[in-house]
Amino acid sequence: MKRTFLAKRNLLLSSAGISWGFFALSGVMFVLLVRLFAPNIFWFILAPVFHGADTLAAQTHIVFSSFSDAAALTLQNEQLMNENAVLSNENQALIAKTNTLSALFSSPAIGSNKTSGILAGVVAHPPESPYDTLVLAAGTNAGIILGMEAFGMGGVPLGVISSVFDDFSYVTLFSAPNMVTHGWVGHANVPLAIVGSGAGVMSASLSRSANIMVGDMVFAPGPGALPIGSITRIDNDPTAPEVLLRVTPMVNLFSITWVVVRDTGIRLPNAFLIATSTL
Amino acid sequence: MIRGLLTLLTLSSVVFFPWQGTVILAIAASFVEPLVPLVAGIFADTLYYTPQAQTYALPIFSLYGAACAAIAFVVRSQVMTSIMKK
Repeated sequence: MKRTFLAKRNLLLSSAGISWGFFALSGVMFVLLVRLFAPNIFWFILAPVFHGADTLAAQTHIVFSSFSDAAALTLQNEQLMNENAVLSNENQALIAKTNTLSALFSSPAIGSNKTSGILAGVVAHPPESPYDTLVLAAGTNAGIILGMEAFGMGGVPLGVISSVFDDFSYVTLFSAPNMVTHGWVGHANVPLAIVGSGAGVMSASLSRSANIMVGDMVFAPGPGALPIGSITRIDNDPTAPEVLLRVTPMVNLFSITWVVVRDTGIRLPNAFLIATSTL
Repeated sequence: MIRGLLTLLTLSSVVFFPWQGTVILAIAASFVEPLVPLVAGIFADTLYYTPQAQTYALPIFSLYGAACAAIAFVVRSQVMTSIMKK
C-alpha cells in the first residue's frame, strides 16, 4: 500500500523556511531590547527616519495642494504676507518697548537670542503616535526634567514631559486619553476639568446653566491664563443636567515641528511624587 | 513575495502613516502572515508607549496585536484543516 506523505505544517515555520512574520518578530524584539537598554542610541538612529517621514508628508502635501485653485492660493499668499508684515512691525515695536522698559528698571535686557524656555524639535507627533505623545529631540543634556510643560507657537500649553533620556524626551499631550487638566472656560472664567479624548481632542462636562457657547476659549493655569483650546462643539442631551464640551487645541498637533519646554511649577511636585519612591 | 512586501509595508507604516492606516494594513497582512499584527503592535509600543505617562497602564497596541494574531492563527488553522480533510 502506498503511503501518502504529508509535510508537517507549522504556523511559524513555512515550508520555505522561516516565515516573514517570524523574521519581523525577531527584528522587532531586537529593536525593543535596544529601546529598553539604550533609549538614547535608539532615538539617535530613529530620529532621521522620522524627519524623512515628515519631509515626505510635506512634499506630498505640496504636490496635492498644487492641484487646487491657483488664484485662490495667490490671494491667500498675498493676504498672509500682509499679515506677516504687520506682525513683524508690531514685534519690532514690542521689542523696542521691552528694551526701553528693561533699561528703565535696570533689569537685564531680553535679547532676541535669549529664550524663556528650552527650544526642542519634535521628532514624532500624532497621528503616527497613537498615544497622543510627542518625542522631542532634547533631554536632560538640554536641561529638560520630568514634569516640565511643553508650549507650542504663541505660548499655547500642549502637554507635560513624562519621560526623559539624555538627548530625547516624551511629552504626554493634554489630549491623551485619561489626562486631566484643570482650567477654566469663557468670559466668566468658569472652572472645569478638561479630559483628554485622544486624537488631539479634549472634552469637559459642565453645567447647562454656565451658558458656554461654541468658540469660547478654554484656559489652563501657567504664568497667567494660557489659552489651551477653544470649544468647537457642544453635545447637548436634554435628559442630562450637564453638557459635554468638545475642545480643539489652538495648535495643530499633527504638523507641529518645535516646542518650547519650561518649568511652570504646577506639575513638577506631582512628578517628584511619582519619580521618588521615598515620598 | 507579497508576504514580505506586506510585512515591510506594515512596519514602515508605523513610522510613516497615521496609526489607523497601520491597523488596516496589519489586519490585511494577517490574512497571509498571522504574526504581522503582533509585530506591528510591539513596534508601535516600542516607539510611542511611555508607562510613566500614566494614561495607559498597559501597552495596548501590543495586546491588540497579540489578540489579532491569535485570531488569525485560529482562522488559518481551521482553514488549513478543512483543506486537508478534502
